[in-house]
Amino acid sequence: MSNDSPSGPRSPRNAPASDRDRPPGEHDVKGLAFHDEEEEPSPPPAGRPRRFTWRKLVVVPAALAVVLVITYVWITNVELDSIAENSLAGDTVQLRWWQHVRLTAISTFWVLIIAIPLGIALTRRGLSKAAPVVTAIANIGQATPAIGLLALLVIWLGIGPSTAITGMVIYAVLPVLSNTVAGLKAIEPTLVEASRGIGMSAMGTLRKVELPLAVPLILAGVRTALVLNVGTATLATFGGGGGLGDLITSGIQTQRMPVLVLGSVLTVVLALLVDWLASLVEVALTPRGLEVGQ
Amino acid sequence: MSFWEYLGNRHQQLLTDAFQHASAVFQCMVIATVLGVLIGVVSYRSGWGSSVAITSTATVLTIPSLAAIGLLIPLVGLGVAPTVITLTLYGLLPIVRNSIVGLRGVDPSLVDAAKGIGMSRITRLRKVELPLAWPPILTGIRVSTQMLMGIAAIAAYASGPGLGNEIFRGIASLGSANAINSVLAGTLGIVILALLFDAAYVLLGRLTIPRGIRV
Repeated sequence: MSNDSPSGPRSPRNAPASDRDRPPGEHDVKGLAFHDEEEEPSPPPAGRPRRFTWRKLVVVPAALAVVLVITYVWITNVELDSIAENSLAGDTVQLRWWQHVRLTAISTFWVLIIAIPLGIALTRRGLSKAAPVVTAIANIGQATPAIGLLALLVIWLGIGPSTAITGMVIYAVLPVLSNTVAGLKAIEPTLVEASRGIGMSAMGTLRKVELPLAVPLILAGVRTALVLNVGTATLATFGGGGGLGDLITSGIQTQRMPVLVLGSVLTVVLALLVDWLASLVEVALTPRGLEVGQ
Repeated sequence: MSFWEYLGNRHQQLLTDAFQHASAVFQCMVIATVLGVLIGVVSYRSGWGSSVAITSTATVLTIPSLAAIGLLIPLVGLGVAPTVITLTLYGLLPIVRNSIVGLRGVDPSLVDAAKGIGMSRITRLRKVELPLAWPPILTGIRVSTQMLMGIAAIAAYASGPGLGNEIFRGIASLGSANAINSVLAGTLGIVILALLFDAAYVLLGRLTIPRGIRV
């Protein structure tokens, strides 16, 4: 890099005349050749590790595609009786898949909208006293079974997708919130002080220093929320929310193994796919300076 | 019927369910701990081995538990078998990961010293490495237990034992007067069990973590 910059001290153009006949990095002092030692190890920008390796990009989707093809071949060849056929009739399967995706996406959206600003607020000076209370609530919340929470909400709010989404949001807010708080708290206080010292406002410090530094932990929280939500969305069926859980429960209730297996396989594929996508986003959004060297 | 009357009327059933819930989680945790630490011990020295162990257990954790139970039913039928297998599988991840992290965190010079005074590989592991790695392993066990409490509730749908049955009974009788009591009893019961287990682990930590490395 430094070779292209015109002001670079060792670029051939402004080097002493005698240096121009020498290879780069070598100097002529009174007829003797001297090497620049510090120039030798090549600087990192050229050899920056690639963010997306082939393995990261290909292995998971390929494996999932194989599983889907095998399942498709099996389900089209297996003998289905009328009950099983009814459970899979028309585009039920697609419908359930998209319901599941929608439940996951909507609940994750709300989780982020609620948890990240709340996490930021809890680390500001005014509200930091409330943080231990929130942590205590979060710990008890983690001990609450998702299915129990969902069942209580169904009794309270009635049946339907919005009840399921409410339950999923409540359940996933806690991990994202605690990750955000932990990420912001882990920042070296001297960095915040330094940025205040050079005249940045509190808002500017948050936006330019604190949030970028907390990005890895926040993203880890987002990934956790996504994976949790794909899982909790299977329980939406108990609250009339649809989703792939419908296939699983109707398979168990009617004792039709093809329906059960198809529902389970699709749920597994969706969960792994979402986790894989989230891992790619995680890699792409982490600030370059915070990447851990391989 | 108020919630307290419900508890009074059904306490026999509720206590049985609670006991079965706790015992299923406890037994699966014992199996998961033994297996998890064993996997950790076998794999922590090779980078390849431990990354395979961590990736495969993390993949299991990504799978929604209802789907895992669903995939097991055709193989092992309904009831206790899918419950035990699912709980053990899900319990493994935090334990495997924390034992690998814990064992790797042991100061190599301590292991060298143990080797120097003539300890065999097994003795080193038993007297030096595992005691030093125990606090993170115990944390893994706590995290696992809390997770299994919730998964065991879902396993009740596949005719598994425990308090999940109360919750599903409530869901099945939505609209009836006892639905809320039943769901509330099951949910609160699980929360209480989880907190009791957690307290027990804190106590276990005080008793088993070597005095020298207590924080």
